Order: sequence, then C-alpha cells, then structure tokens
Amino acid sequence: MIETVRNEPLILNSTSIPLFNSLVFPAGSYSETYSAPFVPRAHWLQLLSAFEAIGAVELKKYHERAKQMRHEDGATINPFDDPSQRTTSWDLDLVPLTISAAEWGEIEGGLIERATLLEKVLADLYGPQHLLKSGQLPAELVFANPNFLNCCHNIEPPANRFLTFYTADLYRAEDGRFRVFRDYASNPGGLGYALENRIVMSRLFSDLYHKTQILRLAPFFQSFQHAIIGRSALVEEDPGIVLLSPGPDSPIYFEHALLSRYLGYPLVEAQDLTVRNGKVFLKKLDGLEPVEAIFRHISDLNSDPFALRRATGSGVAGLVQVCRENNIDVVNPIGSGFVDTPALPVFLPSLARHLLGKDLKLQNHPAWWCGSKEQLAYVHANLGQLTLSSAFDRHTAIDQSCDQGALINTSPASYMASAPIRPAAVPVWDHRGAGCSYSMLRVFVCATAEGFTVMPGGLAIIAADIETLASNCPERQQSKDIWVLSEKPVETFSLMEAYQSVGEFKRSSDLPSRVADHLLWLGRYLERAEGLIRLLRSIFRRISGEDRPEDIPELMFLLQILQARNIVAAPQNDGRETPQFKELHSSLNNALYQRSQGDSVVSILNQVQQAARKVRDRLSTDSFRIINHLEDLAVSPSYDPLEFLDETLFALSAFSGLAMESMTRSLGWRFMDMGRRIERAVNQIKLISIALPQVLSNSRNTLEALLEVSDSTMTYRSRYRSAFQLAPVLDLLLADENNPKSLAFQFSRLADHVEHMPRQSERRFAYSEERIALKMLTAVRLLDLAGVQYGEENTQNESLVSFLQSMSAYLKEFAQEVTGHYLTRIPATPHFTMINNDLPL
Amino acid sequence: MRYKITHRTGYNYSAPASLSQNELFLRPRETVFQKVIESHLTITPEPQYQHSRTDYFGNSVDVFMVQHPHNELAVTATSLIETTVPITPIPGGTASWEDVAGRLALHNQPDDLLACQFVFASPMVTVGSGALSYAGPSFLSGTPVLVGAVDLMRRIFTEYLYDKTASNVETTVDMVLINRKGVCQDFAHLAISCLRSLGLAARYVSGYLETIPPPGKPKLVGSDASHAWVSLFIPDCGWVDFDPTNNQLANERYITLAWGRDYGDVAPVKGVVMGGGSHRLSVTVDVAAKNI
Repeated sequence: MIETVRNEPLILNSTSIPLFNSLVFPAGSYSETYSAPFVPRAHWLQLLSAFEAIGAVELKKYHERAKQMRHEDGATINPFDDPSQRTTSWDLDLVPLTISAAEWGEIEGGLIERATLLEKVLADLYGPQHLLKSGQLPAELVFANPNFLNCCHNIEPPANRFLTFYTADLYRAEDGRFRVFRDYASNPGGLGYALENRIVMSRLFSDLYHKTQILRLAPFFQSFQHAIIGRSALVEEDPGIVLLSPGPDSPIYFEHALLSRYLGYPLVEAQDLTVRNGKVFLKKLDGLEPVEAIFRHISDLNSDPFALRRATGSGVAGLVQVCRENNIDVVNPIGSGFVDTPALPVFLPSLARHLLGKDLKLQNHPAWWCGSKEQLAYVHANLGQLTLSSAFDRHTAIDQSCDQGALINTSPASYMASAPIRPAAVPVWDHRGAGCSYSMLRVFVCATAEGFTVMPGGLAIIAADIETLASNCPERQQSKDIWVLSEKPVETFSLMEAYQSVGEFKRSSDLPSRVADHLLWLGRYLERAEGLIRLLRSIFRRISGEDRPEDIPELMFLLQILQARNIVAAPQNDGRETPQFKELHSSLNNALYQRSQGDSVVSILNQVQQAARKVRDRLSTDSFRIINHLEDLAVSPSYDPLEFLDETLFALSAFSGLAMESMTRSLGWRFMDMGRRIERAVNQIKLISIALPQVLSNSRNTLEALLEVSDSTMTYRSRYRSAFQLAPVLDLLLADENNPKSLAFQFSRLADHVEHMPRQSERRFAYSEERIALKMLTAVRLLDLAGVQYGEENTQNESLVSFLQSMSAYLKEFAQEVTGHYLTRIPATPHFTMINNDLPL
Repeated sequence: MRYKITHRTGYNYSAPASLSQNELFLRPRETVFQKVIESHLTITPEPQYQHSRTDYFGNSVDVFMVQHPHNELAVTATSLIETTVPITPIPGGTASWEDVAGRLALHNQPDDLLACQFVFASPMVTVGSGALSYAGPSFLSGTPVLVGAVDLMRRIFTEYLYDKTASNVETTVDMVLINRKGVCQDFAHLAISCLRSLGLAARYVSGYLETIPPPGKPKLVGSDASHAWVSLFIPDCGWVDFDPTNNQLANERYITLAWGRDYGDVAPVKGVVMGGGSHRLSVTVDVAAKNI
C-alpha cells in the first residue's frame, strides 16, 4: 500500500478553453504549474501561452504526430511480440515539465553532493571499510546485502572513480521541496528515452523550443564521452568503447540502440565480448578488437557469470578479473549496485555529516530501517501508515496482506518501511485532451575529471495514480521531456550528426559475428517474403478474374510451388485436378494471414521484423521506419489480399532500396546481400525445377507465369520483343548475368562477396566457400541451353534437371560453410568440481 | 602430522575447447593449527594467462586461462603441510548460544564484526524456518553453544543418509532437509543454515581428511578425497571446526584449504569453457602421511 491519503480521481475536462485552467489538481499534492487556481507559476507562462496559441484542435494533431514520430523511431516497439498488447515504455506526453533556473540550480547542487557522498561510500566499502569497522554502516547492510559483491573488494577502478554514472528518482513533496525517492548505479534505464523525448519535442515544437531558453542535453553527453576517454588511455580518434545491452528482449532495448547510435558506441551483447590475457575484446569477423571501456546496461549480477553467478549464461565471463587487472573502464564499476540498496538512504544523512561534514541539501523520502532498534519500534508502532519493503532488493515483493509485524521479526534487518509518497501533479495532454497526472523526475549525473555534472533535464515519469508512478514498470508509465529554463542564452550544439548518419561505425570492419549472422538472415527473410508475395500476387490476380480456376492452365504450376514450400496442403486427389474455388480461397488466405503457419506472409514479415530489430543499430533511421510500417501491415492487414500484397511488396522494395542505398558497402551490407542472394538462388532453382516438366510439355502459360513470378517479364520483353520461347526464357532466368533475377547473377554476387570477406590466408580460394562459389559460377556459365527442347525425353533436358539438382546441393553447402566459417557462436558451459567422491569413515 | 597432498583434476572434452578460464582454491591456507611448508601448481596445457590473489576471506586464489584449442586440461596441486592437534574448548564450558548470538548482533569487538559476515544467508545457504525448527531440539534455552553444535552434528550424522547420487552442485538446503540425504557439502550447508538461523556465525571449510585403511589393508593411493565441514565462531575462543559427515570435531588429520560462506565461495576448481562439447571430469586426491 503506497497511498494512505485518499487518492481523488483526477478530473478531466477537454472541452473548455483555456486548455488547463479547468483542471482540478489533487489536494495534498504540489502543483507544478499553478501557484493557486488559475494562477500559473512564472516559469510556466511562456509554455502555457504557447499551448493556448496552438489550441486544442492543433494539439490533437501534435499528439498524433508525436506518436507517429516515436513509432517511426522505434520507441514504441512492443518487446514481447504480442500484437494484442501494443504497450510501449514511457509513452511521451506533450506537455513538457518546466523547471526554473533557480530551482534547477538547487537540484543540481543537491545531486552533485549526493553523488559525491555515494562515491565516497563505495570507495570505502570496496576499500578500507572504515565505515563498517566504525559502525557508521551497519554490518547487516554489507554482509546480508546481495548488492555488496565481495569479489570486487580491493578493485581500484580507473582514475579511482567508483561511481561514474549516477541516476536518481526525485519527487516534489507538498511543501515544494524535492526529495530523493530512489538511487541507481547498477543499471538505470531512461537515459535514452530522455534523449528521444527531447528529439521528438524539439522537432514537434520547433518554434517554441528555439524561442525558449532551454538548456540543451548534448553537452552532457559530450562531458560523459570526454570523461570516459580521460579516464582510460584511449585514443580519441578511435576509442574502443562499447555499449553492452542484454539484447532485444529487454523492454527498453530501444534506448540501448538509440544511445549506441547517438554516442557512436557499437551496441554489443555479452556474447560479442571475450576475455583474453586479462583484457576484453570484441569478437568481430576479422578477429578480436580490444575494448577499453564498457557502458553497461546490464545489472551487476549479470555482468560476469564466472565471478558472480554460476548458473546464468549472461554476462562476460572473466570481466571482474579484467577489472582486477585495471584493464577496463566499466561504467558503472561492477559492485556499484550497492548504491541501489533501498535501505542505504536511511544512513546517508549521518554519513554526509561524517564524510562531507555537512547536511544533505536534497532530503530522502522518509523511511525507516528495521535493523535498528529505535527505528524498528517506530515501524511497529506506525505499521498502518507505512509501506513495508525489502531493505536490500527493490524487486522483492512483500505480501502486503500478511502479518507484517511478525514478518519483520523473522529478520528485522531485511526490512524497511517508508512513508506514503505524495508527488507533485502536472498537466498532461493525451488523446482525451487535457488532464493531470503525478510526476517524478529521473535525473542523470556523470563523473567528470572535476567531479560530477548533471544532465540539465531528464525523464519526467508520470502516471495517473501514485501506485503506478512508484512502481518500476516503464510499460505502465508515461513520460515527459523536462525543460530546464536558462537565464542566459543557451549554447546550441548537438551530437545529432552522428545520430542521423547510417548505423555503420567509424571502423569499417566493426561487425560482431552475431550481427553478421542476423544481417544474413534479414537478407534471407526479406527475399523470402518478396518471393512469396510475388507468387501469391500472381495467383490472386488470376483467380480474382472472371475465369474459373480450371480454365487457368498455369494455376496448377503456381499452386505446386506453394505446395512444394508447404504453404498450402497438397490436394487429396493426384494433383491433376484443380481445387475448388472455395477451398482454394481459404488455403490462400491462410498463406497470407495465418500467424501460426510458419511460412505465411504475415509470419515471414514477423521474422523480417525480428531479424531487423536485432540489428537495428546497423540500419538507418529511415529504413527502420519502414520496418515499423511493415509491422503495422502485418498486425492489421488489409482485407483485400491484392491490396495487402501490393502494399507490403512496396514497403519491402522501399526497405531494400534504402538499405542498399544507405548502408556503406561494408561487411554488414555484404552479409545482408549474401543472405538475399542465397535465398533468391534457392528460390529460383525451385521455381524452375517445378516449372520444367510443364514448360517442356509446351505450356506457354506456365512459361509466362514462370517469368512473372521470377520478376523478369519486363526484362524479357525489352530484350526479345517476341512471344515467350523456351530457350530464351531459360537463358534469361539461368545464365544471363545481366539479369538481376538470374541464377548466374546471384552466383556472381556470391563469388564477389566471399572474395571480400576478412581472411587470414592471403591465398585466393583458400576457403571452401570460395571454391564452392567459383564452382557454381563456372557451372552456370558453361551451361548449354541450346539443346533444351520441348518434349520430355531429351538428354539435354535431363542434364538441365541434374544441373539444377547439383546447384541446389552446392548452395546448401555454401550456406553451411559461410555460417561455419564466420558466424559460428560457440556456446559456453560452466564446469565445477563436485565433492561427491568422499567416503564417510 | 606432516602430509603430502596431491590433488589432480582432469577434464576430457569430447570436442576441442577453444577457451577455458578457471579459478582454483587449491593452495592450503595457514591457520593456527596448520603450517604450509610448500605448495605447487602444475597446469597442462600451459596457460596463457595466470594470476594469483588473496580473496575477501583471506584464501589464496589462482586464476588461469587456456586460450587455444585443447582436448584435455589437467590441474595438479601438491602441498606439504604440517598440522597440530587443534585446541578445542570443552563444549560444556562454552557460553550459551543466546549469549553468542547476542554478542554477534552487537558486534562491537573487531573479531565479532569479522565473524558477522558468516551470520547471514549466502547464495547457497538459505536460512529459513525449516532449518530453524530442525536446529531447535539441539539448542534448547541456555544450551552452551558448542554442546548444541555437537548435538546438531550427531543428529545430522544419524538422521541423514550419506548418498552420492542424491546431490549435485545445485542442491539446496531445503532439498537436503526434505530428502534427508546428501554428501559432505550438503551436510555442511545444512549445519551452517541451522546455526545461522539462530544468529550464530558459521562458515564452510573446504579441505581434506586423511583416510585410514581398514585394519590389515594397505592404504590405496588416490583413495582420499576433497572434503568439507563446518566452522563455528565462539567469541573469545575463536573458530571451532566440526564435521557432520563423520560426527567428530576436527583433529590433526583435517587439512584446511579455504573457507567461505558456502561451497560457491571456495569450490576447489570452477570454470567456464567455450566449446568442448561434453566433458568428463576425473579427480584424484592423495593425502599421504609423512614421517618427520
């Protein structure tokens, strides 16, 4: 129970004008905007009048635009792949939270002071432990606390900085003063969302944003970057800094990708890193590259399975050992999660007097630790008004219905209690119009050579009720941009250039094997989707006309392709009869929309999207927008199949075009294109193999359909200007290296790609994939189609069949070799000796 | 007594392992009753990276990495140790367990504070109501702390079945309490959990025990094993080691390697290997008494 004061419903009124004046803010909460009813605070005047000037009608459009922008940027990606729950983390609200220069100055000073204190506590805890020995820090808070990692004791972090990135949640109490609700060091979220909110807001309210003196965020990121470089002996031109993310399963993966692109640090997952000779390396296609600093977005306990947690596979085995050797700057140092200990703030006031010689400017949210006798007595006496929680772990839930007094007594030191929180109220603007919510500020502080610097702004977290606000689930909360007003003109510079450019990093070969693998599969899925859509489109075009299915001779051929790919079931009869119109329709509809069917259009689009999400930091913002648009198409497909197919094909072509255009011709591009070529070649061989018996029995319609699904009709017409004939069609589809859809073209691209792969051996054709590519290319170049004729009994015809078979086998082998050579990720297994061979005496 | 200990750990991999990192707690530590004369470590293949340190609990730790493909890995630790008979307080003369728990809660003496780190639950030793109620009959009100510990040890020895098949590295205290069987580390974890549930400080000791062959039979080389037991903190006396697996207080035939909060802190060999397929582990320990 968080709320004891009655939580009055927030009154909404969207029709009255002016916009926010009619809002009734909850009693007992500080109102950020108004000093009294209808009397706005001075630092809100400019914003409020700007909003009035825009007006309710326009604001509705702004709201839609903001949603659209965030969606296009990928911030609304649903992490759980459940289309029914399109929840997004920290949805953006239009009304920024404005803070005056004077008030921000106080917050800033208070945060720097607190970060300084917390860093001193960490330095002592992981060093001499005077605070523990003198009783300033209770023994329980250290020894019973899973956030204290004894394996990190005596590790000296670079430049002796124990806290390099500090995050806090602040709320404004009824008296108008800010208080600290939570401290974070281990793995705070929100930095990327704060940045995204600023990007969207400054675009959306570009006029207002540039007229108002709002402190910019970019200088903070620059300080962060300079500090990392300053601490380590990094080369400024080409620093080995990576951003370590848990991967796309994280609900806030979007922010990892955004920060990675904005800061220019490669986005890596733990499996991309390896430890050798006491140093960390990034596993790339062309070998190992040293890493000097890690901006980690994984928690302490997930950092190193070797040193910290035996069972989990996550983390970089040996990372703590590298820290011991002082060979890496981890932001924050592993073990700093001690700062997250919920009961720690209880001791900060006395620690501040002891270590800083003064009282803290920013007060804590009132809380009591049950490990102390006096505080325990207070908690017992006031249990009804307090919220009980774990003293050590923010995520441990306490059954609020049990006998709490008895629960505390089982282990008093493990519990704490806090007063109800009464955060400030702010106006919001959402799809219903004006409203009001409770708010909290997530603020970010980073270490600099001189001490600390605070990001001027941050993420205002808001929620309609206090319980949601105090919870830790971004999916249920919304957010605002924080505008810190400046009395002086603001410096305007940005790191946006780096953000806008394509997601290939400075180092051209900067490609982890994992990313290459995903890019290869993205290429394959894209091609697979395109191929299937072309095929289905040809079918739908035919059956949506006047003709009965049995009057369309090539329909059998087209359906056979679908059957060969297991997309529609093989007919009950021997396949000679055309299926009934009705059953045809239902199975084709399944081929389009059936989500559970692995090869339907919708599920291939889903695979495209998943693969794209895994490499989103490698794709340009524009191409990722198309991926998000594809998601919309797949989630709510148009009911007219042809329309759906056309739209999707259009989006796919746009994506391919953009991806090809905007990706530099680097390794990443090569892997994606290689995937595409492999898939297209496989598909082409299949198409021709299925068509061959029919075209040889002189079915011109099949020949025409074959050209059509191979997307080569136009090329044929422009080249031959004649009726469809067997030999020219086969030549165009198989051997014509100038036709981008021909087998020969795919083979020649593959040969080119493997030649440009990173290599240890200088000798050409040293690798088997090179040899296979050459074999395929030579075979298709030597292919003699002159003797292929109508009629089934013909040696030339037979040799074409066996050619197709052997190419199919080669392709399979080729794909395996490439995967084996460049992409194999070897699983790691922990091992332990067991003491189970001892004998009792 | 003087002992020569040879502890060999071997891994055979079904496929080449490309990278192997390991942490070893194989160097015996100095104690009041134990002197380390020499201690060697041999690793094949030769590691590319090696590092030694003293951990948070004062144990010697060796870390190494083999960074090229290998099919087998062998670690041999040889030590020459001299032990003396530990001085153990008379159980009936020790302070009541309530007094000991009270002093630990106050921990205003440096030694008491140090012992405090072994009072709380640790990753492999949970402390819950199950352990508390099992400990109850041994620790009636006013029972001298060592009398209670000896009784707890006797009960675990008589009520629990020694069973190698009942245990693995993930076995929890609660599973041991339910199944009533396990191996030495399970019994040690159980005893530690019981003692900590009362607010006492108990640590996990990893080491060896010299085995005595049946009468008339020669001692077989390699028949010894790693062993684990419990150490209880008694203020003003120090730490007293006892062995629930064999129902006895530690004597001069007990050789201490390392101690920590539980097995996880001091596993003799632990590591992570990349690749390697499945592995076969073989461990042989030889504790040979030497005449001085």
